[in-house]
Amino acid sequence: MRWNRLKADLAIIGAEIRKTAKIWFAYKILMFFWAIFPLIWVIPYLFQGKALVGGMSSAPFAQLTGTENYMAFVLIGAMVSTYIFSGLWGVGNSLREETYWGTLEYIIASPTSLLVVLIGKTLAEFLYATVMVIFQATLATFFFGIDITFGKIFPLMMIIVLLVIGFYGFAIAFAGFTLLIKEVHGWVHTLEWVFFLFSPIRYPVEVNAITKLVSAFVPLTYALVAIRAIILLNKSVINLWQILLILGVMDIILIAGGYILFNRLEYRTKKAGTISQY
Amino acid sequence: MYKKINHYLRAIWAENIKEWKIELTYKADFVRGMIDPLVYVLPYLLYGIALVGGRTSESLEKLTGTGDLITFVTLGYIFIGFLNMALWAMGFSLRKEQYWGTLESVFAAPVPRWVYALGMAAHSTMHQGLMISLQLIVISIVFKLSVNMGGIVPSLGVVGVMLIALYGLGMMIASLTLIFKQGWLISEALSSLIMIITPIAYPLAVLPVFMQKAAMALPTTYGILTVRHFLIGEKMGFSVGTSFLRLAILCVLWVVFGLIVFAFIDKRTRRSGTLAHY
Repeated sequence: MRWNRLKADLAIIGAEIRKTAKIWFAYKILMFFWAIFPLIWVIPYLFQGKALVGGMSSAPFAQLTGTENYMAFVLIGAMVSTYIFSGLWGVGNSLREETYWGTLEYIIASPTSLLVVLIGKTLAEFLYATVMVIFQATLATFFFGIDITFGKIFPLMMIIVLLVIGFYGFAIAFAGFTLLIKEVHGWVHTLEWVFFLFSPIRYPVEVNAITKLVSAFVPLTYALVAIRAIILLNKSVINLWQILLILGVMDIILIAGGYILFNRLEYRTKKAGTISQY
Repeated sequence: MYKKINHYLRAIWAENIKEWKIELTYKADFVRGMIDPLVYVLPYLLYGIALVGGRTSESLEKLTGTGDLITFVTLGYIFIGFLNMALWAMGFSLRKEQYWGTLESVFAAPVPRWVYALGMAAHSTMHQGLMISLQLIVISIVFKLSVNMGGIVPSLGVVGVMLIALYGLGMMIASLTLIFKQGWLISEALSSLIMIITPIAYPLAVLPVFMQKAAMALPTTYGILTVRHFLIGEKMGFSVGTSFLRLAILCVLWVVFGLIVFAFIDKRTRRSGTLAHY
């Protein structure tokens, strides 16, 4: 019985991944856009750096980050943030999208848990973001000289998995929130700027006491510090065990919190009878 | 003639009021929209401080004649608001009417289409003006911006001329959404590329030559350079008179181009019967 249930859930997850992939392939131009534009968005930061320091390295920047190479710093931030923003839009906003397509009621009426569907969406989003990041990393290696050797790929993937487990827990809770309040475009944008301001995507947060303090509560901060340490400072993953431990603890909190919150919000929306409202 | 102008002006004002009413219905979103540009500029400023270890850059001073990166970047950044006005607020105006199901009613009204577009422009200009004022006040208090007060009036003159050219760009984008429907990709791609070649956080000199030439076709380039020249003494590489003359030429070119594209697409979509397509 338990085994049959697991098999059925896995089939649903597989079906959700296939459905999401079909939608992506229907909009090929969007795939191109998300593969290229996260790198294009950091180009102004490269020109700004060149104007402010007159070259491609900065000693004050090295005091804060350990590397003078500000270009590599922002490029890595852009690549890793792809996971965050695809999670926010792709998972957090996914149930809202089902209401746009008019398919949410069918999913709810099917004999499966919404959470299983969301896990399918989460895995699909992870695969999509990984393909995008591999493409971006290839471009960054060839055109910007970022050194990502094969030996670094396993530790990097390990940190990314630790980052996304917790973050997708948060995104699942956010998806529950969309069931309740419906239109969340504004909230997603607000979360976007929270991540841009309070995590070292674009700049070292240590430069300001407030951003340094707040960013300590954001898992992305630890993931970016560890990823940059491996790529730019050639640190071994063993030296970064404290960061991995913090990420692991944050994952447990976020996954458990996300699960509880989602169930509560789903129950509350169903009880209020507003699930099919637009 | 006077009656006709009065009739058009009333339609423009009605469109402006309608937009405000819709916007102020969603108060939380309105407040978030006011804070957004303020938060988006902070990573640029903090990144600059991290690069040079303070707010003064010798390299920037050599390139532009002013070393205060905070004032330099903030003054450049406010022009993103004007770009957003053309690319998003005006550019998306017709698409929004489609969402609301009112596009056909608006197009059936006894006024030319450009009157409707000007109504949107009036609302966007006021909205952006409000956002930019708030942004300037807060940044001035936090970072103590120092500008030449005598330059404020001529700066407003430059911005006024620049806005006319941007209205032309906005009309062109608005009409493109009639063909492409989901036109956000066009706005996003265009705004990303324009953001690179516009000297927002850096002077033109750091851009490759082909980008410098492309920047010369954009009204925002002259707007930013001339305003910073008046307020903080940035070296422009050409005189104020030349800047005004080129801006005036760009005004004529962009407005004529925008009107022609708008009229052409409007006629084409009505002839092909796709105006009401979603």
